[in-house]
Amino acid sequence: MAPVLIWLMVTLCLLISVVKYTLALILKCSVRGARIRKDYTYQPRVSVLMPCYNEGQTVYETIKSISHSNYPNDRLEVIAQDDCSADDSYQWMLEAQRDFTNIPIRAGRNAENSGKARTICNALHHSTGELIISIDSDCIFHPDAIRELAACFSEPGIGSVGGRVGVRNPNASTITAIQTFIYYAAFQLYKVPENWTRSVGCISGCLFAIRRELLLAIEPKVRARHWFGIPVNQGEDRFLTHQTLLHGYGTYINTDALCWTTVPATLSELFKQQLRWRRSVIRDLFFTLKTLPQHIWKLHPNSVATLVLTPLGAVVGLLAVLTMLSGDPMAWAGPTPLVIYLAIAAALGWAIRRYSTRERVSNPLAFGAYVAWSLVSSLFITPLALCTMDSRDWGTRTREQEASRVDLAS
Amino acid sequence: MSTLLLKKPSRENKNPAGLRPILYKSVVTLYRIFGITALYVILTGVLSYAFVMGFYAISTSWAAPVILSPSDEKSLDFTEKMVTSKQTLEGLNVDKKRLEGSISEMTGHRASLLNLEPELEAAIAREKSHNRTVGPLLSELDRQKQEDNRRTQEIMGQVKLVEAGIDRDLAAGLITKGDAATQRAALNQAQTSLTDSRINEILLTDNILEKTTTHTKSLDVLDKQAELKSEISQLDIAINVAQQQVHEEFQQIERLRAAITTAKQTPYYLIVNGGRPVYFAFVPYSNQGSASVGGGVYDCYLNMVACRKVGTVKQIFPGEEHAIHPIFRTDIRGFMVQMELDHPESAKSKTVFLNRKPLFF
Repeated sequence: MAPVLIWLMVTLCLLISVVKYTLALILKCSVRGARIRKDYTYQPRVSVLMPCYNEGQTVYETIKSISHSNYPNDRLEVIAQDDCSADDSYQWMLEAQRDFTNIPIRAGRNAENSGKARTICNALHHSTGELIISIDSDCIFHPDAIRELAACFSEPGIGSVGGRVGVRNPNASTITAIQTFIYYAAFQLYKVPENWTRSVGCISGCLFAIRRELLLAIEPKVRARHWFGIPVNQGEDRFLTHQTLLHGYGTYINTDALCWTTVPATLSELFKQQLRWRRSVIRDLFFTLKTLPQHIWKLHPNSVATLVLTPLGAVVGLLAVLTMLSGDPMAWAGPTPLVIYLAIAAALGWAIRRYSTRERVSNPLAFGAYVAWSLVSSLFITPLALCTMDSRDWGTRTREQEASRVDLAS
Repeated sequence: MSTLLLKKPSRENKNPAGLRPILYKSVVTLYRIFGITALYVILTGVLSYAFVMGFYAISTSWAAPVILSPSDEKSLDFTEKMVTSKQTLEGLNVDKKRLEGSISEMTGHRASLLNLEPELEAAIAREKSHNRTVGPLLSELDRQKQEDNRRTQEIMGQVKLVEAGIDRDLAAGLITKGDAATQRAALNQAQTSLTDSRINEILLTDNILEKTTTHTKSLDVLDKQAELKSEISQLDIAINVAQQQVHEEFQQIERLRAAITTAKQTPYYLIVNGGRPVYFAFVPYSNQGSASVGGGVYDCYLNMVACRKVGTVKQIFPGEEHAIHPIFRTDIRGFMVQMELDHPESAKSKTVFLNRKPLFF
């Protein structure tokens, strides 16, 4: 009975995904209402909040790309907040502060290492903009990114807008190639049906714009986030997006607002990043299920479906993989799944070559590695995330931090 | 430009008041115990799974015990086919015997017909020889007869004169009426004799014709001879056809017997006709080298460790069988072996090992 139920749920999730992707293609090609009405004359004062931890010289490059934005300089400011980096990130912030004088740049440091979410909140209190844009300190931004984000806020009901995150290093390794396909599919396809109802479930923290009053309303909840008394400093982007929806605002991804991030190039880094993200997904699922009546009452059905089914798919995926491995271990290696995966790879590879040449992947068949990654992801990351919900470890920079601390101590 | 040094905001909820911290701490402690246990279980499970997969990918001595019963679909199918084959065989045997009887009868009849033919030919030859001898004699006699009859006819031509003399004598009273009647009767007798003689002459002529030419009676005999030969030929054909049928049925019988003999060498025959528990195992072709009659059968805990000898291989069945791989769940080809088990419960194990312990313990 149990396997039947699992497969039923997997089929349901798969069916919804297929419907969602198909709908995305239809919407993208034909329905104008799926795209937001942008008003480029709407140019509120914008504060770019840049939390930073152990990014080194990259922060300088990030601030530089912001300073080159096609947005009125008198309406733009950067609040760079260092979360007690063990490296020279703070010095690079100061360097950028000195070099890019066309916009106001404030460089600050936390009194103690507080995590990204609290660093954003700290930076918020030193900002003056009507529109707050939180960015990752390892990204490079397109000159039109801020202008594109701001233009979306002319639609009154919009609370948060995200940009399209591209991959800076698509051909660094097979791991980055896999992520290039995933990022492209996520932003250009998967988010489109959510955009249609202005109910994107998660706006990437790489480029996250939010109304000031809304962020101020949510801030106490961000600071108060904890898991049985343990402060939560991960998944602030998903949390902010979720809270935006619960406050009655719409969320949207403007794919014309571009930024480029350096994705993990090794399996170890990717594993840690995905583990962190999976914890956020599970935490968000628990929160959604805990307050499900409130969600059903307040939110668009598409939002509820997105908030419930996407994370549920990750949990059910684990059970499905386990059932598959115990029942028919070699099924995943059959010709039909492989042909389907390669067909998807070919289609995505073609789309990226055609529409995003900067992210062009040299070997489109690298997507085939996603099959193995899917298994690893479903089999290991979900249970590991479920069993380490108390972890405060960011993952990708802890080792450097510890190494630096040792250096400093010596 | 400004440089900011921020203090920790006071609104952070790091120290919830009251009993909650104790509750939280307890929950987190329990969760961590559960988490660590679960992760170790998962890790152990994953490693074990990987080891089992790897082990069965390279092992060449495993076999999968198969429990067959007479009510299995294959056994029922086998029984049905066996019964049908036996019925067909019996039918063919009966048919063959009937045909052989017919052939024997036809052969006897043919022999008697063949025996009749020389006798007929001898009789024809004898008759021809007799005719050749008798024919000229009869012809001579016929000529004499004709001469006699001619002379008698000439004499009988004077009868009217004799009758006139009788009438005159009677009228003259030289003879009595009685004498006259006697004389007339003698004359009539002579006339009758002449007529008989003529008839005999004609009959003799016919007889001579019969003896000296090909008569219709001879043709009848020849017709009978032809019929006899035709009947022998038809019997030859019928015997030949029957013999071919017998040959074909014999071959069919032999094939059926061979098929039944082969069928008797399958596990299903043993199951259907055995009457006592019989244990089998499926051996994939890749493990064929490990299957030998008399070789040991080992049953292991967790399908690979702490193995013990539970019996021997009693028989290897030649027919190909298909099965599902007990671990990989893929279709595999192989054959069946019969096991002589000292521990019947091993027939219920997922796998057993042939000839040797898989990990030497």
